[in-house]
Amino acid sequence: MEAIFHEIALFGSAFATAFTVTKLLVVMMATILGIIVGAIPGLTATMALALLINLTYGMDLNIAMAFLLGVYVGAVMGGCYSAIMVNIPGTPSAAATALDGFVLAKRGEGGLAIGTGIVASFFGMLMSIVLLIFLTPFLYKIALKFGQWEYFLLSVFGIMICGNLSTGKDPIKGWVVGFLGFFTAMVGLDKIYAYPRFTFGSLELMGGIALIPALIGVFGISEILFVLQEKIPYKIEGNIGRVLPTKKIMKSIIPAAIRSGIIGVGIGAVPGAGEDIGAWVSYDIGKRRSKHPELFGKGSYEGLACAETANNAVVGGAMIPLLTLAIPGSPPAAMFLAAIWLHGIKPGPMLPVEQPGFLYRVAILLFFATVFMLVWGLILAKPMAKILKIKREILMPIIVPLTVIGAFAGGVRSFDIGVMFVFGLIGYVLRKLDYPMAPLVLGIILGPMADVSFRQALMQGQGNLIPLLGRPVGIVLMVAIVFIVVTGIKRAMDYSKEQRELILAQQNSEQSDGN
Amino acid sequence: MEDVKKGSVSDFIMSILLLIFGIALIISSLNMKVFNTFLDAPGFFPMLLGIIFIFLGLMMLFSSIRRKGPQQLGHVFGKANMGAFFKHIEFKRVMILIGLMVVYIFGLIGRMHFAIATTIYLFCTMWFLKSTGLVKNIIISVVASIVISVVFRFVFKIPLP
Repeated sequence: MEAIFHEIALFGSAFATAFTVTKLLVVMMATILGIIVGAIPGLTATMALALLINLTYGMDLNIAMAFLLGVYVGAVMGGCYSAIMVNIPGTPSAAATALDGFVLAKRGEGGLAIGTGIVASFFGMLMSIVLLIFLTPFLYKIALKFGQWEYFLLSVFGIMICGNLSTGKDPIKGWVVGFLGFFTAMVGLDKIYAYPRFTFGSLELMGGIALIPALIGVFGISEILFVLQEKIPYKIEGNIGRVLPTKKIMKSIIPAAIRSGIIGVGIGAVPGAGEDIGAWVSYDIGKRRSKHPELFGKGSYEGLACAETANNAVVGGAMIPLLTLAIPGSPPAAMFLAAIWLHGIKPGPMLPVEQPGFLYRVAILLFFATVFMLVWGLILAKPMAKILKIKREILMPIIVPLTVIGAFAGGVRSFDIGVMFVFGLIGYVLRKLDYPMAPLVLGIILGPMADVSFRQALMQGQGNLIPLLGRPVGIVLMVAIVFIVVTGIKRAMDYSKEQRELILAQQNSEQSDGN
Repeated sequence: MEDVKKGSVSDFIMSILLLIFGIALIISSLNMKVFNTFLDAPGFFPMLLGIIFIFLGLMMLFSSIRRKGPQQLGHVFGKANMGAFFKHIEFKRVMILIGLMVVYIFGLIGRMHFAIATTIYLFCTMWFLKSTGLVKNIIISVVASIVISVVFRFVFKIPLP
């Protein structure tokens, strides 16, 4: 009983901290900024957060959190405008939304589709905030049982599952990128003996590859090149009609929204698997469970709600492993983690002791952002057609100086700008070759933890692996890793077989043409 | 179909690169200093990564050979295909965009005021992309550079390169 009162008191004090005019204003402005950024194709939630991290360095922690969470919530929802009006998702998380949304817009129901998307996002956010508040304390208890060995296994598990989920058919590509992320984190002085690794005598490399410039490169420069590489003229279905969803639509989406909310939180809690994966998984399950699966892809409000509820539910879900284990549940959450690290916050099982009420502060700020997202989302629906007319050929070049400032500001080193640019090029080439970016980010973030915890765990066992192998949480993680490896390899083999048959079929047809 | 072929070739090349990278990682990590035991040596984890990269490289190599990756090398890197690739509008566009960024980041920044460097970069990039008319381009470049510089320097108090 006492514990419950204690929690209520913490909640109350967190509410009092968050409920000030300044913070409400910051959350509101940030959410609007997020909505606009999310709506513009090419500017993604992850890119926005990466660019803004260093901006928050000089801010008070609570203001910084209010700012970043507002942008995050707004941007994930904002993707639906362009998905519906232009058939180009404004941010990757809205890709599944475009399937039904654009069909609806062509039918003249674009406004209703946007309204439904916003309400569904609102619902997804609310569900994820509630689950965040109630599930996180349980995970704190489990996380307390984690030793070095479990942290090592957890980081490997994160890379493996993220690699598996984020690649369409060939998980090996996801794993390669994830472990490349691990390698990136190895460069510089090692964390135990300060021994220089892979520095090639360069003083600057001894400091290691700074996290934020690398992230800005991967999500900023590579995205800019990707958008500008070809000219795609797009047509906006600007005449959208009524925006507020009707009662009939609302009623039809409720079961799908509840299911999608739970799926979204679940996917969010999986390391690195972000909003886009949450939306696709939920859309896929929704289609199979629906009474009208034939309407999916042909303008189904239910399908739209599946995608939009789930992608926003990922936001809250992604905070669960972030707060309890310092493992981000999605790429934008990884940026949030990097930002709070800058402010000296160390998420993990000790967080409730070091920063009592931190969880509630996050939850309450997310809630404020959610309310602003609903209100401003609906208000901005009609003017958005004008915002979407801004040429990307003007907008994207202007992002380049922002990436430069973002990379430079953290360490005030020109070297970091070079790091950012190189990572941008690497990111661009990898994306061209269909390698996912989420495992790379997760790898860069988890690399130091994996390295240090692995070596320390082995030292604790004094070279003996047997005591480590008997630890219960470790066993669960190892079984999970083996399962992912086995199923992943099977998927990779199936993919290779499928492609081989395609090639053979083509060769046969070429031969028969020759004859 | 072209994509399937290119996929198998790029996987083949990537797998060779991964194998080389993995071996290089193992060699260089074995050369790292061992302080107490090898278990907590700086080279231990990179060595494991090397082994993992070799394993992943072999998986990819196997898969690309099944998909006739090596046989397609000749086709994809053949004269006709490569010529078309280098002349492809997308390739040219990306190379020029990257070139402009290189000049901006490594050539202009640090040699002149950030706002001037940015104005030059924005003007050239938008001119190349034919984003807008000449006058509008100049106005956007100048205004954007000044606004960015002032806002970051004085509002957010962030040092400019």
